[in-house]
Amino acid sequence: MKAQLGFTRRTFAIGVTGVLALLGLGGASRLVQEKPLTRPPGGQDEDDFIGACLRCEKCLEVCPAQVIVPATVEAGFLNTRTPTMNFKLGWCDYCKDYNGGSPKCVDVCPTAALKLAVDSTPENTIIGKAYIVKDWCLGWQGKGCRICLEQCPYDAITTDEYSRIRVKYDACNGCGRCEFVCVSLMSGSYTPGATDRAITIKPTQIVDFLLANEVNG
Amino acid sequence: MKSLSAKSFRTITITAVVLVVMIGYVTRSELGNLSALGWGLITAICPLGFLETMLASKTLIPQALISFIVIVIVVIVFGKFFCAWICPTALIQRILPKRSKKKETANISEAADYADDCGTNSNVVNKQLHLAEACKGKHKNIKLDSRHMVLGGTLLSSALFGFPVFCLVCPVGLSFATLLVIMRLFTNGEATFTVLLFPAILILELIVFRKWCTKICPLGACVSLLSGLNRFFRPHIDDNKCLVTAENKECYRCSKACNVEKINLRFPSKSGGSMNDCSKCRECSDSCPTNAIKFPFLPKNLEREKPVLPTKHFSTKNE
Repeated sequence: MKAQLGFTRRTFAIGVTGVLALLGLGGASRLVQEKPLTRPPGGQDEDDFIGACLRCEKCLEVCPAQVIVPATVEAGFLNTRTPTMNFKLGWCDYCKDYNGGSPKCVDVCPTAALKLAVDSTPENTIIGKAYIVKDWCLGWQGKGCRICLEQCPYDAITTDEYSRIRVKYDACNGCGRCEFVCVSLMSGSYTPGATDRAITIKPTQIVDFLLANEVNG
Repeated sequence: MKSLSAKSFRTITITAVVLVVMIGYVTRSELGNLSALGWGLITAICPLGFLETMLASKTLIPQALISFIVIVIVVIVFGKFFCAWICPTALIQRILPKRSKKKETANISEAADYADDCGTNSNVVNKQLHLAEACKGKHKNIKLDSRHMVLGGTLLSSALFGFPVFCLVCPVGLSFATLLVIMRLFTNGEATFTVLLFPAILILELIVFRKWCTKICPLGACVSLLSGLNRFFRPHIDDNKCLVTAENKECYRCSKACNVEKINLRFPSKSGGSMNDCSKCRECSDSCPTNAIKFPFLPKNLEREKPVLPTKHFSTKNE
């Protein structure tokens, strides 16, 4: 089989432009600090994940809890269309109820961007961590709300000596049930200034940063 | 018999693929879209996406490799049919308004070129010798062009930056992503600028730069490298029916009809594209006034029986 070069000067220019555009896009996407996102189970190593994710959106299609959503451009161009968790829609039970404890998103991922170690359990797969905004939390305002504490499947929420809601960070794996059931900003409850639910799951590094910067811990 | 043109038939197949994918989304059937279509082990993973993620993550997933090999086999059997019959960008380019009419005038002037070369020489003998000569020519096997450079750039950038860079702007992926994001806008009320961004990129790629398929698309480049091995369903002209060979008339309809790949089926030596790029869209077959072009499953030694007719005709006319 003979290969033949079909280059005119114009074609060559288009080719070079195309190559440079791709290299520029790749470089720029790497340089821009991307917002960390909560990933479905098995996507916790961000470098491995972003390297293998085809953006085929299969994981969000199969998720029985419908908690996986495509990241939007607001989360950065590199993250666009990659799967992230939206715990307003549901919470991740590791497919215990639907698929015998083997997450479906990991099963369907064609390029193993989502992959779990053999010894992985729901407890050691850290999707993110729960974070409470105390000003918005009904429990912290003495209104007796304990819904997240009652619902947490991993007993990761407790109360301190003043009966205030606390997250046990060594037990929390970011399953998102607390955020899903949190009633602040829901059911007609309203807290001045609140823009989100009082307890939300955020990527671990963000929660670490927020906790380190808290004034009255 | 000719109730449905190839163009409408292609519209139907592409629409069907899009519909099946959308129904898959709605019913949560695990089908996926063209990036990875299918269930479990029977999943067709985008061959370019496979190469990109393999280079980016430096790991080889056996299941993905199997899918890649199967796709190579499918391309060898059916050729570059994906581009005409499945790829949604072909439909988008057809239904969205065209940027300018430049293309058609270009085609006409090209036809005039052929006429200059073969016809207006007034000398019938010369003309016929020319026709006979032209018909004998061989098609180029592989034509490397800007698409293959972009393909190289795609693989290089993935390896350098550690993620599938081209997937960010792939018009096939973005077409389905646009549909999904619009669907989610209504079902989940997810208002986001993505709804505007994806169509904007698509319009930029496919409408503003109309030559995406022939000049840029690295997926098409990837497939065209593989489709060189394809021997089935190749277009074949029946010389007993073709106006040029059978009746010695000027006819450029098939080469004009091939306006995406620029293949000149009748005069291979004048072909702007390589037969590897034939997407089997059947436009040439549809445009042929004598129905001389067929897409037989097997080639059945066509090359050898070809250049008999023009000389015979030429001798009768000369006497």
